[in-house]
Amino acid sequence: MKGPLAHSLRSPKVLIALSMIFCIATCAIFAGAVAPHEPGEQNLLAILTPPEWMPGGDPNYPLGTDSLGRCVLSRLIYGARTAMLVAFFASLGAMIIGSVLAHISGYFGGAVDWVIGRLVDIWMSFPPVILSLILMVGLGIGLGKVILAIILVDWTRFCRVLRSEVLVVTRHEYVAAARLLGFTHRQTIVREVLPATLPLLITLLSLEMAIAVVVEAILSFVGLGVSADQPAWGQMIADARQYVYQSPSNLLLPIAAICFTVMAFNLLGDGLRRSLDVRLMETGH
Amino acid sequence: MIATVITLIARRLLAAIPILLIVSALLFCLLRTLPVDPAAMSLPPNATIAEIEAKRREMGLDRPLPEQYVIWLHGALHGDLGQSIQLRRPAGSLVTATLPATIQLAVAAMVIAGALGFGGGLLLFHLRGTMLEPVADLVSILLLSIPEFLWGLILLFVFGVLLRALPFTGEVAPGLPVPHISGFLLIDSLLIGHPDVFYSACRHLVLPATALGLAFSPTIMRVLRSSLFDVYHEEYIQQARLRGLSERQVLLGHALKNAALPTLTLAGVQFGILFSGTLLVEVIYSYPGMGNLMVDAVRNADLPLIQAIGLTYCIVVLLINTAVDSLYLVLNPKLRVR
Repeated sequence: MKGPLAHSLRSPKVLIALSMIFCIATCAIFAGAVAPHEPGEQNLLAILTPPEWMPGGDPNYPLGTDSLGRCVLSRLIYGARTAMLVAFFASLGAMIIGSVLAHISGYFGGAVDWVIGRLVDIWMSFPPVILSLILMVGLGIGLGKVILAIILVDWTRFCRVLRSEVLVVTRHEYVAAARLLGFTHRQTIVREVLPATLPLLITLLSLEMAIAVVVEAILSFVGLGVSADQPAWGQMIADARQYVYQSPSNLLLPIAAICFTVMAFNLLGDGLRRSLDVRLMETGH
Repeated sequence: MIATVITLIARRLLAAIPILLIVSALLFCLLRTLPVDPAAMSLPPNATIAEIEAKRREMGLDRPLPEQYVIWLHGALHGDLGQSIQLRRPAGSLVTATLPATIQLAVAAMVIAGALGFGGGLLLFHLRGTMLEPVADLVSILLLSIPEFLWGLILLFVFGVLLRALPFTGEVAPGLPVPHISGFLLIDSLLIGHPDVFYSACRHLVLPATALGLAFSPTIMRVLRSSLFDVYHEEYIQQARLRGLSERQVLLGHALKNAALPTLTLAGVQFGILFSGTLLVEVIYSYPGMGNLMVDAVRNADLPLIQAIGLTYCIVVLLINTAVDSLYLVLNPKLRVR
């Protein structure tokens, strides 16, 4: 695995994407040190102030304040923490469930494959947005609930794509050879099949992170995401939507933050897909 | 040929029935196990425990879950999807009142997505091997990574707030008469002979439909380009060139026809996804369709209404997929000869 991964680090796309993600992650981790204010701190004497460089701007609030006089820059930075937490844990969870089922399904085939396949079919006949909204009714709001809802909706993405990859890999002779050498099924899957499907898995993971960021923003926008005292980009957008003429920058900034993050993860996914794909490498692309 | 298509549609619809039953049962169980009590919610806050219990019995909530489902299913098959708790109107009539607006939005968005997708795909293919190819490639990836939710907000910001060029709230300007004949505002406004209503409705439709269309066009673009690449490896393209046809004639007359088929299939599958994407766009633009109704229902935990709308989304997506499969069969000559 070391070869392809090291190889992918030479791809400019991957490097750009990783440095973008590094910026967001730094903000998220060190939010307390980077942000000038507490995200929930209200100053009702300075509501909807424009960014510092605009007329009427306050140097105390570099990017202005929202309708409750909260610092927009600080909320953006803390919002990055929420977004990154959701992106990381939700996609990891969806990946674990989806890939375990995909490997079982593709490796064993037969009845197991049929049952898992139908399960995925039924799951996918719910449009994802609808399913996540319904799940949020049941789960209630909160960071953990958002993560859980995304896992429960999106595991099928991993399962469907990986299963066909596992099917192909399982037919290779070295997998049969491993069985003849006396490997158990579990050993065969972990040591022989998984390394071959790992590049695809990593690619899907980074694409799923982008999806998770958007879904979190959507749920917070609708008011069914994280709780109200936790800053989230979607909430900031919903709030700014009401005061859009007084303070357009409040709407623009969280949108820009989401776009930046989503593009970073998608660029990473695309770069990894091209550099990790063994078939593309062999044909010299 | 027509017989094959009809058999296919019939088989597809038959296969959809068990899926719908399972989906509705799952939806039902999920919503009934939630920690919300529809009986208590449909009564005033000062109701006594005894009154709530009586209401529970009246609504059939004291019976076992499978029995409740059978009662609901019986009602649903007779067109009764239950009563909305919040709005105190039949859920079915609420859905039929808002569905046309959503369909109108989805179709407009699909037209825009198709036009942009085919145009962009041809442009991407045209730029192959030129200096602009990496740039175009990067742009298409960037476009691909912006979902309808973000397009909605970006367009609202640029055209609604900055340029103030287009309206971004509602379906039609306030004060104008809203006719209710077929439910499709664009058609109804023409039927009653109100071109001003039609014009206003069109202007209100531009931003939401474009937002949704933009989100789905890059996929069509990229698939069209890659199927054009595949088609260009075929011998008949060389042969067309040898016959002295211009590159434009080869592309539009020979390659595009063959590359269009996989692209159309994909566009059809996208249409199903696009349909559920209307929900977010409707919320962003306060567009009075099914999506806004759904979000309100979810906020108020209005279980019968959530169930009715959720099921409607599933049915529409299933129907679209069935239609796409049949269309594929109609359009693909290779599948006709059996």
